[in-house]
Amino acid sequence: MLSNSSPVPKLYISVIDDVIESMREVFLDEGVEERVLEELRQLWESKVMQSKAVEGFMKDTLNPSNFVLQLPTNYAQTLRKPTASIVIPAGQNLHNFTAKANSSSTLATFSLPPGVSYPVQIPAGVTLQTSSGHLYKVNVPVMVTQAPGSHRVLSQPIQHVLEQREPVAHQETTTNSTVLQTIAPPVNDLYNHPPAPTGPVIQPTEPQPVACQQLGQGQCTSTELPAVQPPVVQKLLHSQLPPESPSDSPFTLEGIDFSPQPLDMSPTSSFVGQLTGLQEKAGQMQVLGSEFGGREEEDMNNAEMGTLPKVTENTGAVNLEHSEDSVKAALMKAVSYNDLLDIVQLDGVCDSSSEEEQAAGGPEDDFLGMINAEALRALQEGDGSSDGGSSNSNNSDVEDVMPEEEEDPLNSGDDVSEQDIPDLFETDNVVVCQYDKIHRSKNRWKFYLKDGVMCFGGKDYVFSKAVGEAEW
Amino acid sequence: MAYQLYRNTTLGNSLQESLDELIQTQQITPQLALQVLLQFDKAINTALANRVRNRVNFRGSLNTYRFCDNVWTFVLNDVEFREVTDLVKVDKVKIVACDGKNTGSNATE
Repeated sequence: MLSNSSPVPKLYISVIDDVIESMREVFLDEGVEERVLEELRQLWESKVMQSKAVEGFMKDTLNPSNFVLQLPTNYAQTLRKPTASIVIPAGQNLHNFTAKANSSSTLATFSLPPGVSYPVQIPAGVTLQTSSGHLYKVNVPVMVTQAPGSHRVLSQPIQHVLEQREPVAHQETTTNSTVLQTIAPPVNDLYNHPPAPTGPVIQPTEPQPVACQQLGQGQCTSTELPAVQPPVVQKLLHSQLPPESPSDSPFTLEGIDFSPQPLDMSPTSSFVGQLTGLQEKAGQMQVLGSEFGGREEEDMNNAEMGTLPKVTENTGAVNLEHSEDSVKAALMKAVSYNDLLDIVQLDGVCDSSSEEEQAAGGPEDDFLGMINAEALRALQEGDGSSDGGSSNSNNSDVEDVMPEEEEDPLNSGDDVSEQDIPDLFETDNVVVCQYDKIHRSKNRWKFYLKDGVMCFGGKDYVFSKAVGEAEW
Repeated sequence: MAYQLYRNTTLGNSLQESLDELIQTQQITPQLALQVLLQFDKAINTALANRVRNRVNFRGSLNTYRFCDNVWTFVLNDVEFREVTDLVKVDKVKIVACDGKNTGSNATE
């Protein structure tokens, strides 16, 4: 049935098994509980399964159901005695079930095999996990039916998939029917709702509705889960919920003190790096305080924030004796220098712009990026002296500048490749392997590789040998 | 010591993420996580060497090549990977290859 399946999932499972088993003793030696090891396995497996790398992991050609049943330890024995109600075949695709049921691990997992004929009755005490990782604890026998349209749906048994606050471990087979009935109506409503975004975390004390993303291929349902869960299940749920993105909020200036403060010159270079992570380092922005009193427009601030590092670097190069007004004016001008400042070490270009702005005052020249302050002063002095002196000195100064301008365009071509290299090596398609031999003849290359893992667009492949040719 | 090369794979990255989560919840120590990763290195190297038996051919154009610390890094464009059953075409692929003759001391990707 799965004869043409990819070897990757099995390989991954075997690697996971190997690692977990070999770490079992180490964990015990370290005094770490075994449930932590199982939790590691669950986290690892769920991440691998959720990735596209093994999208054929539990794939069946007929019914792509992604049901994973997690059984508590004490249920393993019950499951070994198949009752008439259990339709789950024991032979298909249960590669890790037997091992797990036999081991002393707290959880047993297996997936519904592809050829399972619905309806499937799942006995009580079973925890169902969807491919997206959401868990449903079953406290009464559950009937999994197949809705028309090949959707996998938990039909009326959903009503039973609810529990009370009492410890579940003590209730394996019986439930409080009155509780179920009262809860049933809302469950039905939820059952028909469109998929809701995941979000709620299973709290230890309060039952919360858990929205699932996918149940097999089917529609989404949500149900309430008990307050008290086995710790492993809780942890799993915690881990499988999408992590809250920490400081994804757009950059705001709230809480940033922009009271006038003397600029701190020393950590200028570090500050540049910090500005790239504005959201996390807002506290350090206080160093820049001075010029932003009164500026509350985000756009302007963002632009100025972008120019600030250059400003501080330049002020670091020059003695900072300017009044706030002049600095403010300079910063206004600095906004227009944004593009220029992105190009570093181009004295000629900056000089040309500074000439345009020189009418507004001398100080803003100091805020041009990466300009050698001494050269700038020399230029200014040369310009100043040319007014009263001969034009030759002025020309000589201009000639000194000219070769730089000519060289910069020549050298600027070298910079382009620098920027491309990081992007060049970034790709979603990666092959990680070992090489037996790399051969080159003129511009024809031949690759003899081995033991590789390939990932193309998220999908994984493996090879024991790879031979390739390419022309450079 | 096996290559740590394979940590930057789906399997390796998912393991590292899982370990990070456990470290954050202080269920394991970073040292223990490192032990797990070392064990993973051994397991994946062994698995690839012993449990995989397929051959792939590929052809494309070489954009860049780099050889540093006995590690080859290539970037190829417009590549076709051909297996007996599959054909996969990608417009850009990065190949990182460690020395296959000596799997002893090199522990870097």
